[in-house]
Amino acid sequence: MSSSQILKGILEGCLLSIIGKGETYGYEMMEKLHASGFTMVKEGSIYPLLLRMKKEGLVATTQKQVPSGGPKRKYYSLTPKGEEELKEFKKRWSAISGSVDSLLRKEG
Amino acid sequence: MKVSKESQQFLDNLRIYLLSSGKNEQEINEIVEELEDHLYEAERNGKDVEDIIGQSPKEYMNQVADEMPLDLKGVLKYIPIILIGAFSFILIDDAIRGTMEYSLLELIGYPFIFFINLFIMFRIAFRYLAISSLSETKQWLLLSLVGMVPTSLFIVIYYVDRSFQTPSIEFGNVGVTVAVAFAIATLIGITLWSKSWVTIIIPILLFLPRIFINMTSIEDNTKLIVSGILPLVLVGTYLFIVSKRQQHS
Repeated sequence: MSSSQILKGILEGCLLSIIGKGETYGYEMMEKLHASGFTMVKEGSIYPLLLRMKKEGLVATTQKQVPSGGPKRKYYSLTPKGEEELKEFKKRWSAISGSVDSLLRKEG
Repeated sequence: MKVSKESQQFLDNLRIYLLSSGKNEQEINEIVEELEDHLYEAERNGKDVEDIIGQSPKEYMNQVADEMPLDLKGVLKYIPIILIGAFSFILIDDAIRGTMEYSLLELIGYPFIFFINLFIMFRIAFRYLAISSLSETKQWLLLSLVGMVPTSLFIVIYYVDRSFQTPSIEFGNVGVTVAVAFAIATLIGITLWSKSWVTIIIPILLFLPRIFINMTSIEDNTKLIVSGILPLVLVGTYLFIVSKRQQHS
């Protein structure tokens, strides 16, 4: 597995988590990722991922009018399947990060 | 909402790339609008298109295309329209040549090919592709094979028709007029449907010069050469202008 594939899996989990906190749209998700320190992620790379997540039935989309007027904006929300996947991701992540942490501590 | 010129160009290229990859038009509109929204917000915050999609637009377009399924219905619906367009075209061409004579074999054979083709496409190809999970390359391969069926049948009829004489029907003046009117109406219909002038402009460029040349009194040989070359030059020029204009916008 290449490092970009690992990052993709992690990024998908993070997007699930962001969307799980409330309906949101692409640019806002990116801002939240950046605010958490994900500056290595190219902004546009979330869209192919979002397309796949929608295809897999993890997220649903609705078009809504932007409050300031202008064109419609696409909002994402989690489907029940997406919430399930988020739970699984959290479990997997805590197992992985726990093991990596303990290994690195021993090395240090 | 207005994005920079570079961003707009990227969005236009993305749309063309996805359309020519056979993706669903509705889905293309959605992703293009979504990216436009993102680029607009990003530019307001001092970022440019390269910050969003990275150095290689081509690679980014590929990533997007990979996540979108092939829109089979959308692709297949063009085939009968291309066939009907081709029939109208041949009809007008024959009318100008003044040989609207068709053998029984042709009269039965051509519509027969048309219906065989429809049947293969919708009943077999579409249904099979919809339930199978072939890779995109294999899907295109299968579609090309399906596309080759009518072409090969046309060639078969052409040669069989030359070897066996079947009774033939010649269109009289009324017949020619009706057939040509029908063909022209079809081409206009396709133009309205596709919202593109190509199906009107190309026949005009191909046929009008020949009609005018035939009316003049230049020598027959010269007529043949001029009416062979002139339409090609005109169509070439037209396509050149169109592609230039597309690059500019």
